[in-house]
Amino acid sequence: MNKNLFLPALTGAALLLLVALPVVFVILQAVFPHLDSGRLSAPFSAFSPLFTDTGLREMIFTTLKVGLGVALCSAVLGIPLGALRGLFALPGAALWDLLFLIPFMMPPYIAALSWMLALQTHGYVEQLLALSLNNFLFSLPGIVAVMTLNIFPVVYFAVSRSMAASGSRLADVARIHGAGPWRAFIRVTLPLALPSVASSLLLAFTLSIEEYGVPGALGARSGVTLLTTGIEQRLADWPVDMPGAAVLSLVLVAIALCAYSVQKAVLAGRNVETLTGKPADVVAKKLGRAKWPVLALFALVAFITVGMPLLSMMLTAFSGTLSGGISLENLTLRHYVTLFALDGDAIGALSTSMSLALATALIAGGVGLLASWLVIVRKVRSAAVIDGLSLLPAALPGIVVGVGLILAWNRGFWPVTPYNTWGILLLAYCCLLLPYPVRYVSAAMKQIGGNLEAAARVHGASAAQALWRILLPLVLPSLLAAMMMVFAVASRELVTSLLLAPAGVQTVSVFVWRQFEQGSVGDGMAMASIAVLVSISIMLIAVRVGGGAKRRF
Amino acid sequence: MMNRTSTSLKTGLITAMTLSIAMAAGSAQALTLYTAGPGSLAKKLAAGYEKQTGVKVDVFQATTGKVMARLDAEQANPRADILISASWDTATDLQKRGWLLEYQSPNAAEVPAQFKTPYYVAQGISALGIVWNTKSGTPEPQDWADLAKPVFKDKVTTPDPALSGASLDLLIGLQNAHAQQAWTLFDDLKANGMIIAGPNAQALTPVLQGAKAAVFGAVDYVAYSSMQDGEAVKVIFPASGTVIAPRPMMILKSSKAQKEAKAFIDYALSDEGQKLVAEAWLMPARSDIDAKRPLFKTLKLLPEETHPSASRKEVLDRFASLFGQR
Repeated sequence: MNKNLFLPALTGAALLLLVALPVVFVILQAVFPHLDSGRLSAPFSAFSPLFTDTGLREMIFTTLKVGLGVALCSAVLGIPLGALRGLFALPGAALWDLLFLIPFMMPPYIAALSWMLALQTHGYVEQLLALSLNNFLFSLPGIVAVMTLNIFPVVYFAVSRSMAASGSRLADVARIHGAGPWRAFIRVTLPLALPSVASSLLLAFTLSIEEYGVPGALGARSGVTLLTTGIEQRLADWPVDMPGAAVLSLVLVAIALCAYSVQKAVLAGRNVETLTGKPADVVAKKLGRAKWPVLALFALVAFITVGMPLLSMMLTAFSGTLSGGISLENLTLRHYVTLFALDGDAIGALSTSMSLALATALIAGGVGLLASWLVIVRKVRSAAVIDGLSLLPAALPGIVVGVGLILAWNRGFWPVTPYNTWGILLLAYCCLLLPYPVRYVSAAMKQIGGNLEAAARVHGASAAQALWRILLPLVLPSLLAAMMMVFAVASRELVTSLLLAPAGVQTVSVFVWRQFEQGSVGDGMAMASIAVLVSISIMLIAVRVGGGAKRRF
Repeated sequence: MMNRTSTSLKTGLITAMTLSIAMAAGSAQALTLYTAGPGSLAKKLAAGYEKQTGVKVDVFQATTGKVMARLDAEQANPRADILISASWDTATDLQKRGWLLEYQSPNAAEVPAQFKTPYYVAQGISALGIVWNTKSGTPEPQDWADLAKPVFKDKVTTPDPALSGASLDLLIGLQNAHAQQAWTLFDDLKANGMIIAGPNAQALTPVLQGAKAAVFGAVDYVAYSSMQDGEAVKVIFPASGTVIAPRPMMILKSSKAQKEAKAFIDYALSDEGQKLVAEAWLMPARSDIDAKRPLFKTLKLLPEETHPSASRKEVLDRFASLFGQR
C-alpha cells in the first residue's frame, strides 16, 4: 500500500468500524423492521406507532420537558453563580471551582441512587431534619432537579470563564458614560457572554436527554419513562422489540443532533472582539459588603450539590443495615470487607473497568490524534467526513450506541464477532469517547504554526515522522489530558455496559447496579465510593495536566 | 524509524482485535450460564463446579425478564449453555419452542415429581409472601387483602412482574385461584397507593429503610438474607395461601458443550450444590436436603388452577395497564 495512504486508510477504517457501523445498523433496523429474519419487507412500518401511539408521543414530550427543564434550572443556578465568580474577587475562588467540578465528575447514576437514599420517606434527610421530600424526588421535577445538580457546572464554568475573559472593562466604560451597575450588566456584560451561555445551555439540554442512569434509578418509582429508559426497556426486557428500540433511538439522536448543531452554530457565530492586544489588567471587583451573603450562597450550593450525595453515599456504605438508620452502633466496615472477600468478584469488576478504560484511552487517543492530524494539519480530501465521523459520537447517546452495536454484531453472518466478549465494551467506549481526544488535540494543533512541520519535511522527514517527532511532543499534554478524561468516563460508563457486558464480565457500574437490583445497597454504595474516588481523582489530575497544556501555548 | 508511529498504532489496534477474537474462540470451552438472581449463589455454584471439573463457568446474572430478553435477542447467535430462570413458565415456554435439550440428571431422583420434567428440573424453590418492616408502626399483615386497608395507604410496594419471574407466578396463581376477585384485589391495592418498584430487591429496599411498610408478593429468600444481615423485617405467608416459585434449570439445545452442561446440572443437584442452594435461603429442590427456613410442605398454597391458565402476556398486559405502565 502507498505509504501516504496508509494512515488515512487506517483512520478511516477505525472510524467506520467504531462510529459508522453501529449508526448504520440502527438506521437499517428502524427502516426495515424485519431485518432480523433477513427480509427487507414493510419498510418504514415501524415508524407508524410514532404517530398513533399516544404513549410514545408522551415519552418524547416528557424527554423534551426534562431537557428544557434541566437547561432552565441550570441557567437559574449556573448563571448567577458564574457571573459572581467571573466578575468579582471571590474569596477561595479556586476551591469553589474545584467543588463545582465534583458533581460533574460523579457518575450520575451513583448521585441519583444517593439522592434516593437521602430523600425517600424515612431517608436520611427525614431521619435528621424531619423533612419529607419523597414525593418531590419521585416525580418529573425531582428527576429534573437531580439531573440539574449534576449538569449545572457546565453552565457555571462557561459563564464564569467568559465573563472573566471579557472582564468588566467594557462595562466600566458604560458606567463612566452614566449607566447604573445593573444596566451596565444587562446591556454590556450579559450580551458579551451570551454566546457561551447559550451554547452551555444547549449542552445541558443534550446531556440531560441522553442520560440513562438518573431516569433508570428514579423513573420506575415515579412512573416516568424517558426515551433512554424506554429504549432500554424495549431492548433488554422481555418481550424484546428491536424495531421499536431502533426507531426511538433515531428519534433521540435526531433531537440530540439538532441541539448539537444549533450549539455549534451559536459558538461559530461568536466573534465578540474584546481583546485588543493591548495589555490590560483584568481587575475583578471587590464584593464589599456582599461578601458574606455571596459566600453563604456558594457554600449552600456546594453543600447541596456535592455534600449531600457524597454524605448519603458514605452513610450507606458504612451503615450495617438500612433499617438501623443513622446511629453509632449501626456503623460498620462490613460492606468493604464483603466487597473484597466476594471471591474476587468486586476486585474482578474493578480490574475489568480499569483495563477497559486504559485500552479505551489508548485507542481513542490514537484514533483521535490521527483524525485531528489528518483534518487540521494534512487537510486531506476527505477531511470533512473524518471530522464529522469523529465528532458525531458527541451527539450519540450511550444507549443508541449500545443498540447499534447489538444490531450490528449480534448476527450469524460474521465469521468472528466481538459480541459477547469484552471486545464489544471496548468498541462501545471507544465510539462514545472519541470526541474528547479529537476536540482537545484539534484545539492544540490549531495553535501550532505550520512552519514547524514544514521545517521537518524540508529536512527530509516523512509526514508520519513529522507527526511523531514534531507534532506529537507539542500536543502531548492536551492528548494526555484527553486520554485521562476518556479513562475516567470509560471507567464509570453505565448503560452500554449494562446492555453489552457478556457472561462472566462485570464492570464497576454493572456491579453497583446489580447490587442495588439485588438489595445489597450497602455493598453497592461501598463499591460506588471507590468508583467515585477513582473517577474524581483521575479527572482532577487530567484538569491539572490540561491546564498546564493551556498555559504553555 | 519511519514507520514507528504507524507500526505501533497498527500493532495496538491489531492486538486489541486479535485479543477479542481470541476471547470469542477461547470461550467455547467454558460453560456459559444465564441466571436469574441471587447472583452470589450462581457464583458459588460456578466456583464449586469449576473446582470439581476444571471447566470455567461464565455467569450472566440479571432479572428473569432481562435474561429472557437476552436469550431472545441472541437467537441467531446463541451463547448460553445453561439457563436458570426464576419462573417455571419460562421453561415451559422455551420447551414449546423446542429450544431445550432433554436431560434427566441421576441426582434428580430425590426431587419431587412436581418439580421436574424430562427437559428441566428445579434448582431450588422460593415462596412468595408479604415482607413487612417490623418498625414501620403498622399492624402485622396476615393476608394479601390486609395491604389494601387504609393503614397501609401509600405504604406498599410490589416487584414488577415484567421483570421478576416469581412475581408473575404469583399474579398468575392469584388469577387462577380467584379469577375476577384477584383483579378486584389489584384494583384495591392500586387505589391504596401500591407502587411497582423494579425487580424483587428494589421493591424491598424502600421497605428496609422504612420508606414503605410492606412488599406485596416478595420473593422470600431476598428477605431472609436481609434478616440475616440484621434488617428489621419479617416474612409473612398469607393465610389464604400463596404460590411457590420453583426455579427451573435447563440446557439449551444450541449448546456446544452439552456434556459439561449436563455435568453442571448434576453438580447443582448434588449434596454439595443443594447445600449451597439452602445457604442462599432457598428451599433445596431435593427433599432429602435440609433448609434453614420453612419448607413448602408447611406452607398453605393457593389451590391449583380450576380453569385454563391465563397466559403470561395477557396477565402482564392487564397488570401493566392497571398500573399505568403502558
